[in-house]
Amino acid sequence: MTISNASNSELSQAQEPARHQEGKIKYILIGIALLYLALVLLIPAVNVFVQAFQGGVGAFLQALQTPDFIHAAQLTLIIAAIVVPVNTIFGLCAAWAIARHQFPGRALAISIIDLPFSISPVVAGLMIVLLYGRNGWLGPILEAANFRVIFALPGMIIATAFVTLPFVAREVIPVLEEVGTDQEEAARTLGAKDWEIFWRVTLPNIRWGLLYGVILTNARAMGEFGAVAVVSGNIARRTQTLPLFVEESYKQYHTQSAFAAAVILGCLAVVTLVLKEIVERKTRIKDVE
Amino acid sequence: MKPWRWLKNTTRRFTALFLAGISLSVAIAACTPNANTSGTGQQGQASTVDLTLVSFAVTKAAHDRIIPKFVEKWQQEHNQTVRINASYGGSGSQTRAVIDGLEADIVQLALALDTERIEQAGLIEPGWEQEYPNNSIVSQSVPVIVTRAGNPQNIQNWQDLARDGVQLITADPKTSGVARWNFLALWGSVTENGGTEQQAQEFVRQVYQNVPILTRDAREATDVFYQQGQGNVLINYENEIILAAQQGGQQLPYVIPDVNISIDNPVAIVDRNVDRHGTREVAQAFVEYLFTPEAQAEFAAVGFRPVDASVAQRKEVADKYAPVNTLFTVQDLGGWDTIQQQFFEDGAVFDQIRAGN
Amino acid sequence: MAVSSSPEIRVRRPNVWQQLNQVSWAWRITVVYLSIMLLIPTAAMLLRASTDGPVRFWQVATSPIALSAYEVTFVTAFIASAINGVFGTLLAWVLVRYDFPFKRIVDAIVDLPFALPTAVAGLTLATVYSDNGWIGSLLAPLGIKIAFTRLGVGVAMTFISLPFVVRTVQPVLQEMEKDVEESAWSLGASQFQTFWRVILPPLMPAILTGVALGFSRAVGEYGSTVLVAANMPFQDLIAPVLVFQRLEQYDYSGATAIGTVMLAISLGILLGINLLQAWGRRYDYK
Repeated sequence: MTISNASNSELSQAQEPARHQEGKIKYILIGIALLYLALVLLIPAVNVFVQAFQGGVGAFLQALQTPDFIHAAQLTLIIAAIVVPVNTIFGLCAAWAIARHQFPGRALAISIIDLPFSISPVVAGLMIVLLYGRNGWLGPILEAANFRVIFALPGMIIATAFVTLPFVAREVIPVLEEVGTDQEEAARTLGAKDWEIFWRVTLPNIRWGLLYGVILTNARAMGEFGAVAVVSGNIARRTQTLPLFVEESYKQYHTQSAFAAAVILGCLAVVTLVLKEIVERKTRIKDVE
Repeated sequence: MKPWRWLKNTTRRFTALFLAGISLSVAIAACTPNANTSGTGQQGQASTVDLTLVSFAVTKAAHDRIIPKFVEKWQQEHNQTVRINASYGGSGSQTRAVIDGLEADIVQLALALDTERIEQAGLIEPGWEQEYPNNSIVSQSVPVIVTRAGNPQNIQNWQDLARDGVQLITADPKTSGVARWNFLALWGSVTENGGTEQQAQEFVRQVYQNVPILTRDAREATDVFYQQGQGNVLINYENEIILAAQQGGQQLPYVIPDVNISIDNPVAIVDRNVDRHGTREVAQAFVEYLFTPEAQAEFAAVGFRPVDASVAQRKEVADKYAPVNTLFTVQDLGGWDTIQQQFFEDGAVFDQIRAGN
Repeated sequence: MAVSSSPEIRVRRPNVWQQLNQVSWAWRITVVYLSIMLLIPTAAMLLRASTDGPVRFWQVATSPIALSAYEVTFVTAFIASAINGVFGTLLAWVLVRYDFPFKRIVDAIVDLPFALPTAVAGLTLATVYSDNGWIGSLLAPLGIKIAFTRLGVGVAMTFISLPFVVRTVQPVLQEMEKDVEESAWSLGASQFQTFWRVILPPLMPAILTGVALGFSRAVGEYGSTVLVAANMPFQDLIAPVLVFQRLEQYDYSGATAIGTVMLAISLGILLGINLLQAWGRRYDYK
């Protein structure tokens, strides 16, 4: 604000109307954006809340106290807690490797990283079954070792990691490209080590992309249904995650508890936004007003 | 430089928090089974045995009532705690899961075709149908026709579904294995009533012409019809409709056609898995328990037609489930292998009538 | 910005390879992780798809229903992600540059399509957009039917792919210095010129990335779209439903055959978008 005020006073009188016009455009843009968001997202989201609280707050809270729900929520958090860091590290490596080097087949490499999105979750689950299932490539070895991947936690982690694999890399690559290498090279000529360059120069520059990548990974990791459904076996209190719990409650005509769980799931994933808020405050970003 | 130091510190703090979070989760995860075992410890020094039950979705309501009773009974008779881990889902998906390695001890599936698939995969020994009463059919139902309040279309029978102006909601037999029962009911309503196969095919073609929306499964069909207000007629299973009325308070009139197919849900023990787990005895006891009047009464309470004669004759049960005059089975249509080939394979009857539309 | 002219790049070339050696751990992790997580499972699928021989593969993959399903899936996904390309950019702009009441909440809600289980999303969309729903009932008198038509598929695809564009454009916008655009402006450029010449070019890669990701997500999506569609062959049957149909018939090779075709088409389109982007950047550097 202060910055724009200062520049405002420096502006000549002739540009005042333009300022005024910008105000108008601003409200039109906000209006259009919000209308679009309302149509596509907000109204359906409100509908979820309405359905969740159909039977009142008491019924809502009751739905969240069943052991099945509590266990499903724990399992979902555990999976996210493992998948998010793993995919963040991978994503940073991949983004760095791709954004900082020009090499033939670069576009292909990016496209391959994108693939998990376009693979239908059911097919993604099927792929994992074809590898680790009883009749899969590794099936006999795993059975001999008595180590269960599929229909157990490892399989669910693999499936979740698969569908969330691209987020961090894909969020960070454009930012890395936009920022350019100038600062990093300056740091290098000043004798900084790789690790220092990454920590002090690159990371602060890509923090927003990284943050959004982590937020998206987390949200998707918690919300994934299709692939996890194929590899989990959906055993209540064993391998049932929140989305699976929602599906099952719905199938049992416990519509309200299904929607209640969905609301919690939405809130859990949005918790990451608090994280964003904190990073924003702590780093005292001035470029966002 | 300052903001970066801030970021660094924050990141450190976050990492610490995060690690704490993970260890907490792990601790919780580790504690949960512990809590269970200590619970059993209080009940006696007996060991605990785990059973995995894999079934199709709508049986959960019945099993949720039957399982505690069985657990108690077993506890009393054998001084041993049974923990039954149940998985519910689409019958086809559940079958695939078992074939691919879900270590089920007991399977109760929506149609014998699915159980046969597990048998073909070598997990269930042949002859499982003969192991339990009633050819191992543990629960039954029939397809019914649900109409809008007051039945404005005046739908009384299968034949009425071919009329103009009928908008029929039903699940897709291609995505929902269970929806094959609906198709077979329509087909059999002609062939089991003296009609020829040509007539049956023409009739079924006309009916499916009246279908504006094919849902993925039975549950979604109910939802599209009740909640979204689509269509004016719905074919679904009696048990599904009763459950919807019980749980969701959605009451609409329905007709049970007098020529109808019997939906038979078989139960079987997965021999390979029970032998590996050493759970054959308790698994068998559980399956046998499912056929007892106590368990059958629970099935009847949530919408299934009981297979036990004494339960079926009880007044409240007999009132709830009106008898069907001509009840035919998949055997009358040639058995699942024939049915699958004749109707649902690539290019078979179902594809032909869809192409004809 | 564009200081690095081509001779300089040529001088730096060996340096780049040196760098590559230094950071090869990043490469190693990337390659190993990608292979284990993505390439080997994909190989498993391809092999499974080919078990029944090329003739049957071709038959399954090119049956009329399959062809129309590809068309429905890819065209609708493309339109949905293009719409999101425009409105998502707008949303990101509004969220980064302007302040308005409840902005934080709006910002938070953008991620919801990922967190909501797809079945809930589909159910809600069907409820809201059906003839008697909150939005559907407003459109029904105009003769517009959304739920249970191809339009419904489009709405579901738009819903699930919305976060991509917003979240890819947002960080780049936040990094972009506002002074560039203010100076362009104080130099007398019109708003339109400022937007078109100064703001849009550096945003373009991010927008394209968002569109590409949203597109691929929309193509693969099954859980929510299936609930909003009527699933009628040749009308609004999407390809992932075909996969599920095959699986339900225990036809693993048929299911993987259709999965393979979808994978190939998606890869082709993604490659196209990414090449376009690379080409755009090259143009940018000159």
